[in-house]
Amino acid sequence: MSRAGTLYDVLDLILDKGIVIDVFARVSLIGIEILTVDVRIVVASVDTYLRFAEMTNRLDLTHNSKAQTLPEMIGDITEKGAQGKGRGALSGAAEAVGDIVRPKGSRKEDDGDEEEAKPRQRARSASDEEKAKPRVRARRPRPDDEDAR
Amino acid sequence: MSTCVYGIVADSHPLGLDGLRGIGAPGSEVRVVGEAGLAAVVSTAPERVRAKRRDVLAHQALLDRLGGQGTVLPMRFGTVAPSDEAVAGELRAGAGHYRSLLEELRGRVELNVRAAHSEEAVLREVLREDEGLRETCAELRAAGAGIGDRLAFGESVARAVEARCRRDADRVTGALRGHAERVSLGPLVNGCSLNLSILVDRDRVGAVEREVDRLREALDGLADIRLHGPLSPYSFVAAGRPAAAG
Repeated sequence: MSRAGTLYDVLDLILDKGIVIDVFARVSLIGIEILTVDVRIVVASVDTYLRFAEMTNRLDLTHNSKAQTLPEMIGDITEKGAQGKGRGALSGAAEAVGDIVRPKGSRKEDDGDEEEAKPRQRARSASDEEKAKPRVRARRPRPDDEDAR
Repeated sequence: MSTCVYGIVADSHPLGLDGLRGIGAPGSEVRVVGEAGLAAVVSTAPERVRAKRRDVLAHQALLDRLGGQGTVLPMRFGTVAPSDEAVAGELRAGAGHYRSLLEELRGRVELNVRAAHSEEAVLREVLREDEGLRETCAELRAAGAGIGDRLAFGESVARAVEARCRRDADRVTGALRGHAERVSLGPLVNGCSLNLSILVDRDRVGAVEREVDRLREALDGLADIRLHGPLSPYSFVAAGRPAAAG
């Protein structure tokens, strides 16, 4: 059971659920609610298919030979696969958007002790409805402490 | 001066908010707007609000505290009314709606369960179970397969992995449904394979914890399951109030 400290695990509830009163405004969520690419689409991409093919190939090798030890192999896969193309491209996109929505000069007004919340994406598995091309959508935030990055 | 609204409670709620502040830097002072047997917990909204981590935390801490002392209707983060009078007006106009929501949610809390599969572990499991995939893999390797074949193969592997994750997610949902008054499936953010909120009676929280422990064990390292809560019923307040109620 978790309470404070894992706030960002339930951030979508706090930002996307709860009562909305139409006649009231909502504070700007620039900084946490910037445009992000929904990473779930990655599962249905060429990149992902090739990555799975490659991973399977490597995994299957271990059944037949002892040439590569398991930890080495996992390290290899993690580096080349999950965190390589997919993640790099996505965070690149998010950063680009961040630059657009947050003019450079505005940084100066921020208090030094606290970072603006930032999104984080991870490429992972998806559900069936996420087939087609990358969709760009508002929100799906994942602010983090600077320390945690 | 505009007014940031955090949550709505019945005016019988103890409203013990000592030590908590609202959004802004430094945190704004929290006060209560009472009207029509209801109370809204509010603070003065800072002039230029750009949401930060501490603001989201402040919002959640206030709702946590209110939820621990009674029933609270959580506002979506960052709701800003033009004035306290506007908040009072909304309480008056929506009193019937808000009272019946409070009644419906009394003694109940939201628990959120997230599953995140280990891609690596699921892939191993899928290959272990599916001889066909293993054979295809061996054939492709022997033949020095071209990109088209590898792509097609990768797609079937990806689908098998995805199907396995969905099967596990359905199993978890099915097991927890029995404890829940209501169920709400959220978007699969941050790579999770399940984002399930359930509304449960407060005295069933322990039973849900034990159920989640059992489910985690049954998944045997394929997925991590995390239970969050008790939370204010974020997922179980209708987003808006019906126009007819106003």
